[in-house]
Amino acid sequence: MNPFAALGLPPRPDLTDDEVRAAWRAIAARTHPDRRDGGDPAAYVAASAAYEQLRTPWGRSEALADLDWLPAIPPPAAAPPAPAWAGAWHAAVLLPARIRHGRPLCLAARAAVAAIAGYAAVLLAGGTPSAPAAVTGCALWWLATARADLAPPPGR
Amino acid sequence: MMGVLRLIVVLWLLRMGLRVLRFLLAVAVLAVVWPVTAAAVLSFTAAWLLGWPPARLYRAAAASWPVLAAYAVAAALAARSWRVVALTPVDAWQQATLLLAHGRVLHAVALTAPLAVPLGLLAGGAAWAHRTAAMEAGAAGRHAFAPAVFDARQWARSARAARGRLAAPGTVPLATGRGTVPVGAVIRAVGRRWTPVLEVPASAFARHMVIVGASGTGKTNLMIRLWAGWYAVTLAAARRGRPRPLLAALDCKGGADARAKADRTRRVLRGTGARRIAIWPDETSLSLWTLPPRDLAVLLHQMIEHGEGAAAYYADVSQAVLVMVCCAPGGPPGSAAAFLSRLDYGWLDDAYAAGTGPELAALRAARPHLGDIQLRYATLLGRLGPALDGPGRLGDADAWYFILEGTAEPSVAEAQAMAITELIAHAATSRDTEPRAMLLAADDYSAVSRRVPLSNLYERGRSLGLGVMVSAQSWQGLGTDDDERTRIAATADGGLFVMQTPYPEPLSALAGTRRVLESARKLLGATWGDEGTTRIQRAWTADPDLIRQLDTGQACYIHRGTAVFVQVARPKPSPLPLPPARPAGPVIIPPPARRNGHARRDLGDGPPTVPLPPVPAGGPAGPLDDVLGPATGGIPQ
Repeated sequence: MNPFAALGLPPRPDLTDDEVRAAWRAIAARTHPDRRDGGDPAAYVAASAAYEQLRTPWGRSEALADLDWLPAIPPPAAAPPAPAWAGAWHAAVLLPARIRHGRPLCLAARAAVAAIAGYAAVLLAGGTPSAPAAVTGCALWWLATARADLAPPPGR
Repeated sequence: MMGVLRLIVVLWLLRMGLRVLRFLLAVAVLAVVWPVTAAAVLSFTAAWLLGWPPARLYRAAAASWPVLAAYAVAAALAARSWRVVALTPVDAWQQATLLLAHGRVLHAVALTAPLAVPLGLLAGGAAWAHRTAAMEAGAAGRHAFAPAVFDARQWARSARAARGRLAAPGTVPLATGRGTVPVGAVIRAVGRRWTPVLEVPASAFARHMVIVGASGTGKTNLMIRLWAGWYAVTLAAARRGRPRPLLAALDCKGGADARAKADRTRRVLRGTGARRIAIWPDETSLSLWTLPPRDLAVLLHQMIEHGEGAAAYYADVSQAVLVMVCCAPGGPPGSAAAFLSRLDYGWLDDAYAAGTGPELAALRAARPHLGDIQLRYATLLGRLGPALDGPGRLGDADAWYFILEGTAEPSVAEAQAMAITELIAHAATSRDTEPRAMLLAADDYSAVSRRVPLSNLYERGRSLGLGVMVSAQSWQGLGTDDDERTRIAATADGGLFVMQTPYPEPLSALAGTRRVLESARKLLGATWGDEGTTRIQRAWTADPDLIRQLDTGQACYIHRGTAVFVQVARPKPSPLPLPPARPAGPVIIPPPARRNGHARRDLGDGPPTVPLPPVPAGGPAGPLDDVLGPATGGIPQ
């Protein structure tokens, strides 16, 4: 359950004790079971639990972390070693996000330069061994420099 | 007479003729292999203008072997004869030369580039290495200041190139898949192979590491980067079954900016996978009372300043009382209130009713002093506040950021530092809890090192198997005297980061010296002649003048007689969300150790006769009170 939502608060790290308390008081005054209309016990219990969690900066920090990265990082579990293809597959799956969060324009510009240089080499030296070698060189240059334009993998 | 003059003239003419011949021969060779010459000139110029070391050109040449391979394969497929394949480059060169003669430069370049570029990079690297070595030796340049000017200019260009490399997001991540921690882009490497990025192996963190840098030089950035990198690498190892990481960072100076630093550290660590980052004492607390009774008694004794001479007697009495209080039957005190309530003759008399003769005798001797001891500890614990009296344990969090107000309240901060380091030492050695890979980092530890010498800290850390990283603002901040400073710095086998500091000589000396060539030239009037001498000299590996002039964010990493000058990258975790964690497996905690064949006394079977401290009047406020006010209040309308 999202404790911020239970109190109607935005999940922000800079919430103060007073803001959390004010939100809790407002909800509790509306939903307390001792009200003449009987209140809303379920909402009151949910808000109480949320307030208990969010009343301190430490608790808010924990709740925020839980929201960001659920589930938590576990204690060490001796996991079986992943096969090599799994790592490569994982890296391939991450690639679009790494490009998006890196410098996609620089990457595209480099790719364009490499493509143009390779195409020019084929046009100018077509039919000789220089053409495939030049294309290899352009691709190599792009691959060697492209890594810097990618965002690091998660957790690094 | 004329004969002698004629001989001199002939000899001079011969010498000049040989020189001209040699020059013409070199020009001819360079002209013949014009594609390689052009590539070499370009790479040499690039290295000169961009501050690259020769190693960078060599690396580029080595990395282009697939181009040569592709060329050879294509030639072999086309010719199907080894002789023809071997002559293909010659044919290409002939063809390109003809094309060049007809002004078709691009065609000529396209034909020869695949072979000329790798060879040109190699030749350019060799020429650049020769040039830099000659300048360093003072054997080149037009005037006496040329080597110094060249060096300063190349340093500035290398620093600019390093800063440029850091602009790319993927160049310097916080950690690598190889288990190393990248620190920043290398500006200059002395005595070690040049690499674009300085990477510190994770094993270096398990040792002792020292960071020295004046205020505002980027020391905090560097430390946060190292912490986060260590955390990421250790967490990755934990996913493979190794112990989980636990970082304990002590900010010993405190102050307003400590909170900002703590918050920044938390954000960066979160990006590496740390989930619970506790900021002490603002957001959480620790319990001092979880220490083993004997350790607790020693710590409490050390936390109070004792005088010398006659006061030593009272110190002994105090220590004896503390041991009795902490090691009383039934277990150690669980809180400050319980501890203070035990400093009472009646309580101790009850607790030791079945005690041995010496215990009862010690109790009777200490009776007159119990009130004073209680007063002193009530004052101390009152000043320390509730932050060491809470329910928390070190193992509850992934990382702790301790803020000690070493500038505002040195004596309190010192006592807190003692307590925290003791808790960390206990956590590192305890066999009752989950084993963790620990790093204890102390920022500006000199602020609290008066009563806990830095050398003690890292010697303990080493013996306990936890990594220790300490930072100070200057050489003098590392210890009270030169012996201690040298002991701390000289044993930093994890490495020594020196940032801009006005007195780096003692630290530079730890990197040692290296052999360099020093040339002297003969002056003819006001100009240099063509004669001189060269001799081998020793020079600093980590030049103190260079360290003194380091810019913000630049550091010199001294390790095993080498020095690497580096532009430290700002710590910034990957923006990609962390992958979902695998289900947690069981944490296997080894059974508690038995000491000397019997169980520990504090875990013994004796009846818990210790009276609990009274609950404070009013009791803790519950959440309901926040809404409804005190028990007498009603629902706010």
